[in-house]
Amino acid sequence: MKRPLQAVIALLVIVAASRAEAFPAFARKYGMSCSACHVGWPVFNQQGQNFRDNGYQFGLSKDDPVALSQDYLPVSLRTTVFYQFTRMTNQPSDQGPIVTQVGGVPLPPGVDVLTGGVLAKDVSFLLVLTGFGPDGTSVVESAWARLDNLGGTGWLNVKVGKFELDLPASAHRNVTFTTGYAVYGAHPEGSVVAFDMGENQVGVEIDGHSARSTTRYALAITSANGGEGLSKGGWSTPMLYGHVEHVIEIPSRVLPWVQLGAFGGVGWWPTSFNTITPAGGTPTNIAGTGTNLKAFYRAGPQLNFMLGYPATPLLIRAAYVHGWEDAGLASGTDATGFDLSTASNSFDGGFGELDWIPFSESSYNATPWMFFGRYDVVRFKHGAGDVDGGTIGVRRYLAIGPRASAAIHVEGHIDRTKGVGAAGPDGVPLVVQAQSVLAGFDLDF
Amino acid sequence: MIRTSVVTRAVLVFAVGAVASSDGATPPDPTAAERGRRVFNRYCISCHGVDGDGRGPTADWIDPRPRILTSGTFKFRSTPSGALPTDADLYRTITNGLHHTFMPRWAPTTEMERRDVIQFVKTLSPRFKEDPQLEPIAIPPPPPFTPELVQKGQGVWKRLQCAACHGDTGKGDGPSAPTLRDDWGFPITPRDFTRGPLKVGDTPEDLFRTFLTGLNGSPMPSYADTVSNDDAWALVSYVRSLRKE
Repeated sequence: MKRPLQAVIALLVIVAASRAEAFPAFARKYGMSCSACHVGWPVFNQQGQNFRDNGYQFGLSKDDPVALSQDYLPVSLRTTVFYQFTRMTNQPSDQGPIVTQVGGVPLPPGVDVLTGGVLAKDVSFLLVLTGFGPDGTSVVESAWARLDNLGGTGWLNVKVGKFELDLPASAHRNVTFTTGYAVYGAHPEGSVVAFDMGENQVGVEIDGHSARSTTRYALAITSANGGEGLSKGGWSTPMLYGHVEHVIEIPSRVLPWVQLGAFGGVGWWPTSFNTITPAGGTPTNIAGTGTNLKAFYRAGPQLNFMLGYPATPLLIRAAYVHGWEDAGLASGTDATGFDLSTASNSFDGGFGELDWIPFSESSYNATPWMFFGRYDVVRFKHGAGDVDGGTIGVRRYLAIGPRASAAIHVEGHIDRTKGVGAAGPDGVPLVVQAQSVLAGFDLDF
Repeated sequence: MIRTSVVTRAVLVFAVGAVASSDGATPPDPTAAERGRRVFNRYCISCHGVDGDGRGPTADWIDPRPRILTSGTFKFRSTPSGALPTDADLYRTITNGLHHTFMPRWAPTTEMERRDVIQFVKTLSPRFKEDPQLEPIAIPPPPPFTPELVQKGQGVWKRLQCAACHGDTGKGDGPSAPTLRDDWGFPITPRDFTRGPLKVGDTPEDLFRTFLTGLNGSPMPSYADTVSNDDAWALVSYVRSLRKE
């Protein structure tokens, strides 16, 4: 099965995807500003990370829902109303390579509905429904329960359900709307593997952390997303994933905070299926019959650090990912005629991101500005799809207080993806350049 | 109504001047305070207000109400009744948070931020420039907690009439409890010793310190002049025996 080349583009030019999990209901519960837990909403700071690691608990006898006013509802809603213009070059058409230009305001915008928190001491949960967009569909983005502080220690917690892997930079608290982290969803040309690190996975996670979350680890066994129910056996498309990170604090106003980490996951994807062929149709794989599992992995280091004062930092996050997929996990040929099914393929990629909170104000909208930028890169050993992408933007927070959050969000993005466009005069697929501008309101209550 | 009046403070300063630090006042470090303002803006103003007046947007619905930092009146200190807290006291409160309140533990923030915001907090009240910095009270090592000590502590409990506020069983339901107000006139609830830790901590030393320093701005007085250290440890022992959960 050969994946359409345009699918690679779709990994990049997505709109407002994976943007849930910013939760003003917690601010209302504890009377704290969003800026207490977010470097700049929605990116966590260490206080927010520690609160999450502790199972949405501060541990000061105000967590248990029994102790709360019955007026409190642990529900948040988030939507983004925006205008977006996207221009893409070298799109195939009957008239040859063309440029498409699309602009508009999607109405109704998608909505994220979030509920989560503490069911009882050391039992936490999160449920996120997202969608409700123009097509009317919604999906359960997250649904998990977690047993926290097992044995009285933060080093042992168990989470079960559908959750985000513990990534070097959360795809669900990503500040950009036009694109996600390209390397999370990267696949070699022709790959049948649907796994995307940035998508939530179904499985079990064991995780732990030090008292201040300066040292953290997570180990997960999941069914790689997109492969649930495909393979035959006790655990479909199994995947093992791990992440460890450690913070070094330096009494410096230049470089006060450095976080080092490493992550990696290995999974197995079926390549042989029983099929069924409808009359006059083509053979279709039967789910649950997949065998002949082939391995793939993603692994790499991360480096996050702050420049400047930590309350108004320039947060820099970088990660490198090496991906590898075994021979047999891809099909078809590349533009040079190379049979992609005969050899393993790999890629190298990563991102570097800057999130800058230039100052704070003595007001209830204490951190009113956030400037951000990111560079994404992916390079494949064989085949098309090499990506270079850049995104810059600014968020002007209209509210980031203890009730709700609102921001004006302006963002521009440009990327180039090699070999995925319409065929050129020599028959070789051209480079596609995508440009996108987005401006709108990000609203979270 | 500010119970800790200027006159009271003057008397206090005179009375305890002999134990004051030779360094006198520890006014805020202006450079660190300026950095600390950024920390305060980000983390603190939603409760404590933009000027530290305790009138942040959430102040009206959280109980107990946030500290009015402009008053220079702090409950949780190691210093004698009426005195200012030390930097270490403020650091402890900010780092560990306060149980049964909406003051979370800010330990995950960097050490530098916590130390800087202390300096900023000290700019919010003129007391930190005017009043002497007193030394923390001495806390002797605790004796072994024995049934005899608990029994002795029960006697101290009765003698000091703790039950008037905290109730016969320590549940915070004494006959005076409904009438209690803090220095700003807001209702205040005596600690329920049967449940969970004190706001400031759960060690015997935390209880001992509270008995001897009192809680400024609240009806909880200091017993430094009323009980001996031995009696105070006995009272600690008895109060800890009241814990049901």
